[in-house]
Amino acid sequence: MSTFIEAWQMVLAPDVLIAILLSAIYGLVVGSLPGLSATMATALLVPVTFYLSPIAAIATIITASAMAIFSGDIPGCLLRIPGTPASAAYTDEAYAMTRKGQPELALGICLWFSALGGVFGTLSLIIMAPLLAEFALSFSTFEYFWLAFLGLMCATVVARSSPVKAIAAMLLGLLIACVGIENPAGTPRFTFGSTDLLGGIEVIPALVGCFAVAEVMRAMSVPEPPQLERRKFGSILAGQWKLTKEYPKQQARGNIVGIIIGVLPGAGADMAAWVSYAMAKRFSKTPEKFGTGHPEGLIEAGASNNASLASGWVPSLLFGIPGDTITAIAIGVLYMKGLNPGPTLFTEKASSMYALYIIFMLGNIIMIPLGIIMIRLATFILRAKRYMIMPVIVLLCAVGSFATGNNLFLVITVAAFGVVGYLMEKNGFPVAALVLGIVMGSMVEQHFITSLIKSDGSLLPFFARPVSAVLAAITIGLMVWPLAVWLYKKRPQGRAAAI
Amino acid sequence: MQISNRLTGIGLAVLGAAAAYGGSLLPPVPGQQVGPNVFPMVIGIGLVLCGIAIAIGVGSSFEEPEQVVAAEDGSHVPAGQEAPVPHAALKTVVPPLLLLFYAFTVDHLGFIPTAAVMVAATCFALGGTWRSALILALCAPPAVHLVFAKLLRVPLPPGLLPMPW
Amino acid sequence: MTELSRRHLMAGAAGLGLASQLASPAIAQTFPVRPITLVVPWGAGGGTDATARIVGSIMEREFGQPVNVVNRTGGSGVVGHSAIATGAADGYTIGMITVEITMMHWQGLTQLKHDSYTPLALMNEDPPGVQVSASSPYTDLKSLADAIRANPGRLKASGTGQGGIWHLALVGWLGAMGLPPSAVPWVPSNGAAPAMQDLAAGGIDIVTCSVPEAKAMLDAGRARSLAIMASARNPQFPNVPTLKEAIGVDYSVGAWRGIAAPKNLPAPIAERFTTVLKKINESKEFTDFMAARGFGVKWADGAGFAKFMAEGDAAMGVAMKAAGLARQA
Repeated sequence: MSTFIEAWQMVLAPDVLIAILLSAIYGLVVGSLPGLSATMATALLVPVTFYLSPIAAIATIITASAMAIFSGDIPGCLLRIPGTPASAAYTDEAYAMTRKGQPELALGICLWFSALGGVFGTLSLIIMAPLLAEFALSFSTFEYFWLAFLGLMCATVVARSSPVKAIAAMLLGLLIACVGIENPAGTPRFTFGSTDLLGGIEVIPALVGCFAVAEVMRAMSVPEPPQLERRKFGSILAGQWKLTKEYPKQQARGNIVGIIIGVLPGAGADMAAWVSYAMAKRFSKTPEKFGTGHPEGLIEAGASNNASLASGWVPSLLFGIPGDTITAIAIGVLYMKGLNPGPTLFTEKASSMYALYIIFMLGNIIMIPLGIIMIRLATFILRAKRYMIMPVIVLLCAVGSFATGNNLFLVITVAAFGVVGYLMEKNGFPVAALVLGIVMGSMVEQHFITSLIKSDGSLLPFFARPVSAVLAAITIGLMVWPLAVWLYKKRPQGRAAAI
Repeated sequence: MQISNRLTGIGLAVLGAAAAYGGSLLPPVPGQQVGPNVFPMVIGIGLVLCGIAIAIGVGSSFEEPEQVVAAEDGSHVPAGQEAPVPHAALKTVVPPLLLLFYAFTVDHLGFIPTAAVMVAATCFALGGTWRSALILALCAPPAVHLVFAKLLRVPLPPGLLPMPW
Repeated sequence: MTELSRRHLMAGAAGLGLASQLASPAIAQTFPVRPITLVVPWGAGGGTDATARIVGSIMEREFGQPVNVVNRTGGSGVVGHSAIATGAADGYTIGMITVEITMMHWQGLTQLKHDSYTPLALMNEDPPGVQVSASSPYTDLKSLADAIRANPGRLKASGTGQGGIWHLALVGWLGAMGLPPSAVPWVPSNGAAPAMQDLAAGGIDIVTCSVPEAKAMLDAGRARSLAIMASARNPQFPNVPTLKEAIGVDYSVGAWRGIAAPKNLPAPIAERFTTVLKKINESKEFTDFMAARGFGVKWADGAGFAKFMAEGDAAMGVAMKAAGLARQA
């Protein structure tokens, strides 16, 4: 108990509280700017943490990343430009709600269920950390292969277009992921002798180009859409409690899926959001409503990506193995501050551990009031003229993508993906599937090839290991299921024709 | 710019074939049963199949015509029926061209002038008045510079107009 | 430095009879007059980034001018390394170069080599350990080495990507034992952390990565470190023997980090840097920081660093050709 009180004392120190508040605001602002992601928000904090006390340093990372994942939903909702890859899965849905005149409901869902997801994720971290870590450690490349494969299949479920075009867009993403030397063979592929292409094409500039630049391009060729009627913006939290009661299953599933995916090293909030949105659609009683501004998918995916954020810390804290790109940076900060990850963190530095838990909880709780203020401010852009907003977005695209690697080639990449994204959108190819392909591409290949090396070329372990077998069964089942349904539907007619 | 399904399908198939061919040229790696050539080839072949399917119209029945939400109540209007924008095709390529302009000139001109040109050009292309373009060009670049260069320590080139901070 | 010795130095420079060098010490006296940029070719939050930032923050105090640490990522380190090499040789652009500079040119990824820079100081080196899972039957390096000899190709190892530094450490170690690289096939991974996780998951048998990278898993009792590929034991892990102590094989290698400037940096400025870097290297703040992260502190001045890189470069060439990783020129 004394350690618990000690932990509170650590958190309630003025410098920590100020750090939490400032980094919360910072996370909200950076996450909401198109072109800046949650990972980047964290990376840009590293130099700042250098001058902070250990608890304050970790507090800034925890708070800023949680806020940025939520506020990445804001530009998605208002401008159809996702702020982070984790929001890309359900951007169209949220935007559709805004155009239906329910921006406060859409943003409220994102805020409320993000906060709840974050709280559940933290609880899982507190209660089940050793158990979850055990689970994460049982995953080898065979299991990861199936997981990545499952993630890719979400492309066809999520898209509201021809499945053939969704698959084509996903394959294009996979092909883009092939570029560079970061492949299992360490061989430069499709680099055409360019040094800049050697490192491959990163997700952030692709995302920024496909969504933000393409959106500005679209704005160029269509007249300004009618302004939303001037009226008092409704209450943001009103109705959230009703939705919580109406969709308990979706919410619980989002939390659980988020926690499981988050805990697995290498699979983070992006994948959690995709899988959860796809699951919500597949298990929904009204899948046809998805994509037209329906809250179900938003609830599940919004809860999922924030839940995964907290559970991503489990392997990081216990074994120093990052759960995602954000915790990869956080681990560096932990080391820098002498809070070396490992079981000793839980025994010798128990008060610091409790302090981290408290910060997680605090972060997710203050997300609600700060988020409301942020949403109120952000909705001004719904009233602003397009020609005042879009120029700033173009500028942010350039600066934001440059800042991810301080490399001007990234700006060229953004321009190229703007054109690609625009052309795809105009011709009915889902852009989100392309982003999914880029995110998951290297994972599928890496785990497939390394698995084969380990098994000396045998495919058997892909099905023989217990967890792997279960994942394989789910994957193959999901692939065969639509085919079976289609055949079943065809059968009576066929029989009727035969008789 | 809407392209016929036949053309996009063929385009994808050609791209897939090129990827598969390019992949097949990659040398194998000692100690790996599956070399760096396999994935591009699998993806390339997949793209060829998808391209052909799109060209002959498989799956097009699932597609919904592009819709633009036109009114507050959420009613939809089919795309292409709004009032046309003058020089739409020309304006569409403005954003990517401005990004290229930024990439190639920012090191010479510096951040503030380059950003001002970008902002003003986008504003003007979207139908803003000269006045609003000018105001935006004067205000937005220093604000962005303050946040990124000062607070986030992103090294933006000073160029012709270094900022006092 | 006293006034006398400085005058002495200037007289020495003048004695060389090069008029151009006369002006340089004057520059070096006032250097630096504006902020310095310290380029890091790897991303924020990593080990290189952390080392560069601590060096930068102490340097800032020593010079009384801001030192801006800039992460220039991309191209698997090539972009950042070439940004350092192509910067203006005026002392205001320096960078932290890493072991990859002695590897990338063998793979034909870049023309840049260790001699494309003015080396200023070597700051750190981390030798790899040989880690096995806690549930592994091998409790010492000798039994592991015997198992490799008895069944070549059965045990698999990982730790980084194909052709990465830890891959070459393994190849070099096998070579020193007289075994071909195929005796232990390499499973590429996205770095040391995922490899350690796969080790615990039972996917692979050996991980050759630096001991600090494996520390958390070692502390958790999930893995065992059997030996390190260095000439002396790591004081933080006194129970882990060297290769030589364990099986009598004399082989050492390591991932290192050093500070370098663009080629042709004026000698007085280079000396100024090396003096300051030496002070940093010996400062309590730096050594404490490195000890906390488990990183090894190493020192070599400009000339020593140049020699160190040249030797490392030749050794890498041999190992990479043996592993079939070097591009046949």
